[in-house]
Amino acid sequence: MNELSPLHLLLQTAVAFASTIAFAVIFHTPRRELLYTGLTGGAGWLVYLLSMGLGGGVVAASFLATLALTVLSRMFSFARKAPVTVFLICGIFPLVPGAGIYYTGYYFFMGSNAQALDKGLETIKIAVAIALGIGFVLSLPQVLFSFKRKGR
Amino acid sequence: MPQTDSALELSFRMGQALLENGAEISRVQETMERVVQSYQVESFNVYVLTNAIFVTGTEAGVEHAAKLKHVPSTSTHLGRICAVNQLSREIAQGEHTVAEAFAQLDSIETLPYSPLPLAVLGCAVGSAAFSYLFGGSPFDAFVAFFCGLALECYLYFAGKRGMSKFLTNLSASALVTLCGGVLFLCGLGHNMDKIIIGSIIRLVPGVALTTSIRDFFHGDYLSGAIRMLDAFLVGGCIAVGVGFVVKVLSTLTGGALL
Repeated sequence: MNELSPLHLLLQTAVAFASTIAFAVIFHTPRRELLYTGLTGGAGWLVYLLSMGLGGGVVAASFLATLALTVLSRMFSFARKAPVTVFLICGIFPLVPGAGIYYTGYYFFMGSNAQALDKGLETIKIAVAIALGIGFVLSLPQVLFSFKRKGR
Repeated sequence: MPQTDSALELSFRMGQALLENGAEISRVQETMERVVQSYQVESFNVYVLTNAIFVTGTEAGVEHAAKLKHVPSTSTHLGRICAVNQLSREIAQGEHTVAEAFAQLDSIETLPYSPLPLAVLGCAVGSAAFSYLFGGSPFDAFVAFFCGLALECYLYFAGKRGMSKFLTNLSASALVTLCGGVLFLCGLGHNMDKIIIGSIIRLVPGVALTTSIRDFFHGDYLSGAIRMLDAFLVGGCIAVGVGFVVKVLSTLTGGALL
């Protein structure tokens, strides 16, 4: 299937939306915020797919996706008067390198040291990219995000 | 019994509630400082770690308070974080006396968890969705759905028994791999790897690793290091649990499994 076909993107985003809400439930998110966490997660994944499809690497794509979803989290945080963490933790769940940690450990214990090192470095790079993305957007002044809401 | 008129005690309890429910270090510290600033406290110092809070302060002239408390790492409860955040916002606007705030905090600390059936469904849907997002077929997602069901039920009972984190992760990941492996050998699903990765995503410490790096950027090196070590240990446990079952199953079946 074409990586950038609208149908594929739509389906993937919908699944990311559902998965974010599923994990938001596990994290005991208040029910009235569930929809918004889902939107954050879906948007992050959409940007990730687009960046990947346009030839960015995993690390760059994670960074861009984090930027987008953190901006969205801050807007929701302002609009919903809830801490930004709620949208952020749920929203980054699809991007976060959980699978990478597992593969690193798996290859390590299976004796494939080269693959373990490869995966391990990639995992760290992704985690740093996401942390940088979050840190960057969180350090922007609040005015930007309150302004956006009034503009709508 | 704790006094119900001490702003220091209030700030401490709020910090503890945040930390226990998985808030980041900087938020805990900020909230505690904000609460204290809203009341008459002469001096206040706080130092927060991933698993402990240290506070000293002077209140009502002569009264000195020194507190340290070990906060064991527990599960994330975003609902309580939300509620404490709201409370601290109201305190900063001067809407509560200390006693009122204590009453509010008591009700926050008993906010319910998601009911078990809902959590089980959440875990199952989440597992299926991630199996698909990582490139699995709809059939893989179908198998991961059942692994997710089994996993959340198991985690619930392990939690009730107070099983250690190390053992819980090891056994839970072995269980889902066994579950996925058996269904796979029955002819369901196409790709064992995608089934496993979907099913264990609930356990894997991706958010913890990212948070640890955020702590480093904040200058909270010790907290970051604690979280990162924790993430590596948990990740290692999961890999061992999965790896062990995969080896056993593929030996038993003569290499039919990945």
